[in-house]
Amino acid sequence: MRYGDFTPFDIVLLLQGLGVSLALFVSTTLIGLVIGTAWAVIRFYRVPVLMQAVTFVAELLKNSPVLVQLFLVFFGLPAFLKINVTPTEAALITLSGNSAAFIYVIAVSAIESVGRDQIEAARVFGLTRWQILRRVIAPQATAFAIGPLTGLLVNQLQVTSLISVIGVMDLTKVGNILNLRTLKPFLVWTAVGLLYYLTAKLVTYAGARFEKRLRAHTAWKGL
Amino acid sequence: MKFDLSILAKHIPFLLEGAWLTLQACALAVIGSLVLGLVVGAMRTSASPLLNRLAAIYIDIFRNIPFIVQLFFFYYGLPEIGIYIDAFTTGVVALSIAGGAFTSDVIRSGILAIDPGVIEAAQVSGLRKITIFRKIILPIALRASVRPLGSVFINLILTSSILSTITLNELTGSAKIVASNTFRPFEVYFVLLVAYAALTYSVSILIGMLHRYLNRHQEEGAV
Repeated sequence: MRYGDFTPFDIVLLLQGLGVSLALFVSTTLIGLVIGTAWAVIRFYRVPVLMQAVTFVAELLKNSPVLVQLFLVFFGLPAFLKINVTPTEAALITLSGNSAAFIYVIAVSAIESVGRDQIEAARVFGLTRWQILRRVIAPQATAFAIGPLTGLLVNQLQVTSLISVIGVMDLTKVGNILNLRTLKPFLVWTAVGLLYYLTAKLVTYAGARFEKRLRAHTAWKGL
Repeated sequence: MKFDLSILAKHIPFLLEGAWLTLQACALAVIGSLVLGLVVGAMRTSASPLLNRLAAIYIDIFRNIPFIVQLFFFYYGLPEIGIYIDAFTTGVVALSIAGGAFTSDVIRSGILAIDPGVIEAAQVSGLRKITIFRKIILPIALRASVRPLGSVFINLILTSSILSTITLNELTGSAKIVASNTFRPFEVYFVLLVAYAALTYSVSILIGMLHRYLNRHQEEGAV
């Protein structure tokens, strides 16, 4: 047998790569959601100093290539702080931070989409800050944010492919390995591309479904 | 370890060479994606269902597959079918094609935002289709989409850092070399991050100025 041939195991390898990509995508999205929302809340309450710091960091993260951020965390941090950073950790840190910066922007506009009068009305009713945030702002802001968030997530899914450059065994890295072994670039990259494409479509579909559910109460039901 | 930027001083000419290559690649890719975006945007808004469908498929594919996968597809795939071009050309072509998908979407929404009355008036005046497109639709659509086009192009600049993965020593690629020569990755990548942020920030200011200049007659109070 020539080692240049495709084997059934290659499918397992591709699926494994997809699993790694998906796991990192989901976990960094969740972390990014938490951090990004926290930043938006800081901005909403106009916390001094913190607010400026958040705006600055978010701008820096949004306006620089993810690849450079990855290199900074993976090559730079270990040399600077004398710590060990594995590729997966570096990927987790960078992608979470990057997602957070973009989610922050969406969250800020989502919070602003809730009318000031509603917040004032809630305050008049004697709701606490936390209650207003939890019961008045959060539900409406989420429904508003889902659309742009889906677009962002499709983008972030593609950004995860960059972590292959620092050696995380994700889908792109598996594609790279298969490509070098079989020397059939068209077949390999088409398969990899297709897997990414299908995942992206799945994210879009899920986002649309979720948005429909969140907006169900405002939809026109007929008389 | 202390943060010392002075060691970078003697590597600045080398980094500037890389920056020059990045600028060249980006400028060519911006032109390429603008041309492609105009053609595909026109197809996407044309009355022909076939052209419309083709354009939609192109946009869908290139927006939903990670750029790095597309890049590898071209870089490893093209020699397979007998096309031997260097990494720079491959990179510019891949960037143009990927950028074209985003550009055409922006141009499409610019065209769709035009008041149908304007186009009807042109048709009634007996202008030819090509004249209507060139002299009426394009100026209005392009003027309205300067800002969204700008953010697509800023994204293009950030994406161009990925070209370093196909052995092209543009800004990120040459920074990688400097980092491994000086053993100071943190400083190198930090400077690189700030450099990219400064670059994209100045581009966004330029785009804001261009937008104001092109839309100066639209502003309220303008006679």
